[in-house]
Amino acid sequence: MFKTEAEKILSLEYLEKGYVIRAASDLDALDWIRNQFDRIIRELLNNVSDVSTENLLNNIHSYVPVSQLNDFRLSVIREINAIDKFREMYYRVAMDYLDALVGNELAMQLRINLSIQLPGDDSSLLPVHADVWSGDSPYEVVLWIPLVNCYKSKAMYILPPKSSDELNQEFSKKANASSEGLYQSIKGQVEFLEVRYGEVLIFDQSLPHGNRLNDEEETRWSMNCRFKGVFTPYGDKKIGEFFEPITLRAASHRGMSFKLPELK
Amino acid sequence: MKKVRGYIFSRPFMGERVPQHIQNLVIRDYCNRNNLQYLLSATEYAMENSHLIHEQLMRDLTEVDGIAAYSIFQLPENETERSKIYRQVLNQGKTYHFAVESLCFNDEDSSARIETIWKIKKTLPNCYLFD
Repeated sequence: MFKTEAEKILSLEYLEKGYVIRAASDLDALDWIRNQFDRIIRELLNNVSDVSTENLLNNIHSYVPVSQLNDFRLSVIREINAIDKFREMYYRVAMDYLDALVGNELAMQLRINLSIQLPGDDSSLLPVHADVWSGDSPYEVVLWIPLVNCYKSKAMYILPPKSSDELNQEFSKKANASSEGLYQSIKGQVEFLEVRYGEVLIFDQSLPHGNRLNDEEETRWSMNCRFKGVFTPYGDKKIGEFFEPITLRAASHRGMSFKLPELK
Repeated sequence: MKKVRGYIFSRPFMGERVPQHIQNLVIRDYCNRNNLQYLLSATEYAMENSHLIHEQLMRDLTEVDGIAAYSIFQLPENETERSKIYRQVLNQGKTYHFAVESLCFNDEDSSARIETIWKIKKTLPNCYLFD
């Protein structure tokens, strides 16, 4: 393989751990994104003018009750996805790592997801799952970007590849009760991932992952979005309806349009 | 509010089959989200390769602000025919929407974006598959 040393290290770590955590490729792009959130939140709420961005995000539970959380979250998602350059900036935040791990002809999810997990709120929990179990292609990775420091139960967890292989071999036995039963059977092996603001997490969505009740005193804000090689196999999430090419190269444009001359 | 004519299929397209009432629901939802007035959908004939209904929609394009099809992949498979549609829509200053993909085109860049997705979709069967 003709990879650089840095690419080799990144790839090996991804394969061994099922994820990588790195400093943002483009911190300006990340700050731009967080500023967009700051603006949107202040437009939606009217009593937060003297609060810093970091405090506003970490303490959003002081301003938005659980009963209004879903409507609030949907409003923010709608707003961020309506911003022209938002997806391009999102890609830039981890561009170097995505290019090294996935490829330089990428398809990107059309809409970016947002998770807001208030302290003690059990209404936004994601039970243990692997995206491939619900139709994603194993060729996809998730780029997970926090807007605040995420640690302990404020973070997400993942089951490492070796434990995941063991689970797959005993899946019918362990998964016969409920998703909570499945989690209880693996909770000793899962790893909670500490990701600070300014860092990005890229993980293998074919590994079981999820979150638990946020027992910390701060709210978690994180975005997630899937990437894959544009010409790698698709699962139930297709080109056009879910993915869009973002870095198609000239030779592929040419190849897709090429026709042999006709002889009659 | 801009008026768009719905367009749905009564046969599978590019290996997909969607019940007609679901196609209409998706278009209606798209129109609501994008502040468009949804005019009753025209249903393409079931005969293979038919785009006769679509042809009629293009002739009537002057009467509406655009078309809202269920999917990008209900455009003709033939590249030349698709090009003709892009050209007609742009020349008349209209917008063509695709509800399930939440995409639309109304200029050179956005129509090129749609065409690229089409070409990739046509190329993918030549790429390998997984079980």
